[in-house]
Amino acid sequence: MTAVPTTSSGTSTRYDRLILPDRVHGSLYTDPAIFAEELAKIWHTTWVFVGHESEVPQPNDYVRKKLAMQDVVMTRDKDGEVHLLLNRCAHRGNQVCDDQKGNSSSFRCPYHGWTFRNTGELLGYPYNKGYGGKNKLELGMGRVPRVASYQGFVFGSFAADGPSLEEHLGAAAGEIDRLVGLSPEGSVSLTAGWLQHKTRANWKLLAENETDGYHPQFVHGSIFGVTGSPIGALYSDASTAVTRNLGGGHSENDLRPEFRGFDEPMRWFGTTPDRVPDYVARMEAAYGDDARRRLVEGAPHVMVFPNLFIAEIQVFNIQPVATGECVQYSTAVQLDGAPELNRRMVSQSIGSVGPAGMLLADDTEMYERNQRGVEALQPEWLEVSRGLVRERVDEDGFTIGAATDETGMRGFWKHYKSLMEA
Amino acid sequence: MTDPAIPDPSAGPQHDIVAGGSMRTGRFVVPGVGPVVESEFASVSVDLDHEGNSVRLRIEDLRTGRVRHLDALELEAVVWLPEGHLTQLLDPSSDRWRG
Repeated sequence: MTAVPTTSSGTSTRYDRLILPDRVHGSLYTDPAIFAEELAKIWHTTWVFVGHESEVPQPNDYVRKKLAMQDVVMTRDKDGEVHLLLNRCAHRGNQVCDDQKGNSSSFRCPYHGWTFRNTGELLGYPYNKGYGGKNKLELGMGRVPRVASYQGFVFGSFAADGPSLEEHLGAAAGEIDRLVGLSPEGSVSLTAGWLQHKTRANWKLLAENETDGYHPQFVHGSIFGVTGSPIGALYSDASTAVTRNLGGGHSENDLRPEFRGFDEPMRWFGTTPDRVPDYVARMEAAYGDDARRRLVEGAPHVMVFPNLFIAEIQVFNIQPVATGECVQYSTAVQLDGAPELNRRMVSQSIGSVGPAGMLLADDTEMYERNQRGVEALQPEWLEVSRGLVRERVDEDGFTIGAATDETGMRGFWKHYKSLMEA
Repeated sequence: MTDPAIPDPSAGPQHDIVAGGSMRTGRFVVPGVGPVVESEFASVSVDLDHEGNSVRLRIEDLRTGRVRHLDALELEAVVWLPEGHLTQLLDPSSDRWRG
């Protein structure tokens, strides 16, 4: 593990010494004390993506999810409201729900039978005389204090107060809007099932990589070659695509300049309108003249701080486990009202991030090698300077770099530093 | 005389139960006792019983083998049960574990 720099520099903070404009210190990925501080100041404070409303479509549906290392039960109560409960009995701390999903208005702890509504409220306990009768205890399952959703994406925050979800998302909300705008019904579902990829790497290596346009031509050369995908060429110095710092730690690879240049509907998906005629017809019926623009520009490639990655056709939910371990949950996007495209979404996702997929296996190999690399003592620093020489501000005021620049990483670290110093 | 609807508790369930979560899809029918409604918290079979002069619903708690029959009027009462009353019934100390 690289040592944390101790050289004092006047009034600078610890993170001033670890995070510089053009490089970050290796200990950020290896120091257990920093990981513990991240849990407190990021994962247990800011808004974290947990799941999607479509995973609990019916009243009393529930699914088990993760919020960092916390086991969370996402429920929809009988009135339709979504809750995030901590999966722990208020009596002796036993795990209450064991199935990954189900439908139940109430949950009964298997240890002593304490029973809770799916809102977390204590409903009753066996042999109540031991407590002086019914309704004598003001105890319930723990709850994530704030729960909010945007376009069906459910986020939780352990901070009782703080920025609203809309404030947290900022410009990244527009990218989620772009995704749902590819559905003829203006909404998406995440119901194709989640794959879980255990990854022996620090979560930040993944967050940084998601909008790193420098690696695809190297790491993903095999899938680009096998499939004949035109995507690889989008990530080069000749590309007109840009890397955008969206603020708030969010960033995107905006490939629209390239796709607009080709002006070919469905090129972003690697197909042509004649192969998905029903989808194209539904889009035209829903959006009229604007349908063509949507079908040309395609889906977003956006990293929403700290753990939601929308990669055009699939969604990733990244959750930390330890300093050098995290889990990537991935699922195919399902555009409501687009069954023809959804079948292809699932097939493509299986091919890219499935158990024998050719995309995520490559990335994960790099994450794990990266983690092993940063354990080395020298050199202590990791570069994030690529593109500083050509960075500029776009017409909307966002800092942008070229397709292969580390503009997104620099935005990530700026926000990370602000949270860790708060 | 022993109530035939209440089996000897030491005898346990009267039917084989399919292990794991495979029955939770609601697509399984246990021969002789009907379709199964199951979650991780309870496992109950439901079936129509035609032995009486009019049809009844036969419900069996597959974890204990306890059976209850509900006639049409009782079922209608369940449909009209206020939410609060139903919630009271879910309190484990209301009946089964009253102590």
